[in-house]
Amino acid sequence: MSRKIERLINLTIALLATKRYLTKNEIFSSVEGYEGSPETKERMFERDKDDLRNLGIQIEVGGFDPAFDDEAGYRIKSENYSLNLGTITGTEIALLSLAAEAWRGAALDDAAQSALLKLRSMGVESDMDSIPNISLQIRTPQTNFEMISQAISQRGVLKFSYLSKDLEVQHRSVAPYAIATHRGFWYLAGMDLDRKSLRTFRLDRIEGEIETSRGSNEYAIPEDFDILKSLEAIRKPERATLDIRKGKAHLLRVQALSIIDKGEWDEITLEYQDLTYVVDSILWHGDDVFVVAPDNLREAVVDALKVLVGLHG
Amino acid sequence: MAKTPQTPISRTSRLLDLVPYLAAHQGIELNSLAKDFSVTANQMVADLTTLWMCGLPGYTPLELMDLSFDSGYVTIHNAETLSKPRNLTSEESIALLLGLDLVVQSLPEERSDLLAIATALRNKLAERANLPSPVHANSSGDSAIRTSILHAISAKKSVEISYHSLYADVITSRVITPLEIHIEETHENVWAYCESANSFRSFRMDRVLESKEVKAPARTSHPNHSSESHSIDFVLRIHSRLRDAVERFSINKADMAGDIHKQAYSQQWLIRSVLSSSGAVELIAPGMTRESIALTAATLLRKYETH
Repeated sequence: MSRKIERLINLTIALLATKRYLTKNEIFSSVEGYEGSPETKERMFERDKDDLRNLGIQIEVGGFDPAFDDEAGYRIKSENYSLNLGTITGTEIALLSLAAEAWRGAALDDAAQSALLKLRSMGVESDMDSIPNISLQIRTPQTNFEMISQAISQRGVLKFSYLSKDLEVQHRSVAPYAIATHRGFWYLAGMDLDRKSLRTFRLDRIEGEIETSRGSNEYAIPEDFDILKSLEAIRKPERATLDIRKGKAHLLRVQALSIIDKGEWDEITLEYQDLTYVVDSILWHGDDVFVVAPDNLREAVVDALKVLVGLHG
Repeated sequence: MAKTPQTPISRTSRLLDLVPYLAAHQGIELNSLAKDFSVTANQMVADLTTLWMCGLPGYTPLELMDLSFDSGYVTIHNAETLSKPRNLTSEESIALLLGLDLVVQSLPEERSDLLAIATALRNKLAERANLPSPVHANSSGDSAIRTSILHAISAKKSVEISYHSLYADVITSRVITPLEIHIEETHENVWAYCESANSFRSFRMDRVLESKEVKAPARTSHPNHSSESHSIDFVLRIHSRLRDAVERFSINKADMAGDIHKQAYSQQWLIRSVLSSSGAVELIAPGMTRESIALTAATLLRKYETH
């Protein structure tokens, strides 16, 4: 095992140190570890290149010189290999440490920790005293992050099965644009290639494995794309006036734009976009909440109540 | 101790990251180096031994990396080619970007200087990673409250919290001695000794509305109101909006044929959940709960018809 590791590291060093493209034969004769028949060396080299690419190391192919021969050459450009964030301060490293620490125990914990090791290798000490003592926590048990984030940065297409409102399993092909949290859940937004429109998908509603296309740069993300807008304000928000019992309905109270004291009850106003969602949350509170306006919201609540009485009465 | 399985690829990756880390931390103690990379000291010695054999073509002492680690402290020389840290992977960039989102949202208002730095840093990272706008995380808890509770855990102090009990829909003030923060599914919980109830309790972090440190735990015992510890068997029939029902009642999709038998631990939760399904689900049993849902719905309906 360690011979393979030594060879990969020696190959990386050789390709990084060279100022020009190295041909395969130059690599085989100078980099330690390539042994056996020409076919064996060839196979070893192909596998090594794939392994390095899987580590995110870009190997450039080039150096064709028609005047001599047309053998391809290889090198790793230092500007692609190494982290280049320009000058960085101790305060910035401290902020990034805080950002990485937020993943403790969550999906991208390992990635956050390895990112932190790289940042701490830049030779700038983290200045934790320059930032306030705050502690953050990202909550997500999701494991599809790795695949989705890679697909977004490489502009590759995702294929997955998605649960519809009626629990049908639908097959989707999506050009992913973005991921974001919204109301405590993770969402993926992107162009649904079959339905030819922008859609959002809640990650925990994806069934089974996600497949990614092998290609890259298959689409472009529109420059003005804003995932928060696509999750939030699809429609113009409506305004509702509700009576809520004193000391009750705290979930609605925290959303209130205004509160008027009416004795036993308080009158609040709030904004909503999704009628179904707001009816559900009004009914959660039973007789502690009463809709004053608008009429269509009152009607929706009354309709739901009629069904409830019909089913249970 | 090592979290990831030892494949040649993962070890190669670690060794490549080890070189710049050593270059930036010359003379680091072997044990703390192992800890920083989440491996055992033995594994770290094995890693360093492998690295020692690597270098530029030629592989004479002049071209090999120069490592010294036999005194328990590690130094590296002659490793210029690998001495810059590797570029971030897309996954690492996303982790930092999402983390920075939370940082930006959690900085105190008076630190606008840091806000500007964090925002600029976020933009720079996003651009380098070819991810100009696509990721965004929202903080769903209050970082001041987390900080206060974490501080109480490490200082072994008590805090007075105001807590929203969701099913009872009341806000109570309690004195708790927090012991740890743990994550259940997507929620963060505080496991604590509740001085007000004289027992161990779990509190949802996002329902803690306020937290302030108190000098000594106030051992005033409150009456234990409505502890519904025994479970309630219920039967549910789903009429529409299947996905919503599955998610709300945590139903296993394999059990979707016919009526659904489940257990609840709170009568209030069961009633509220059925009401807020707006008629998409029907509670078949228990009969008493079914009647109470019918009564609440009918009473409310009459109120709408007369007001």
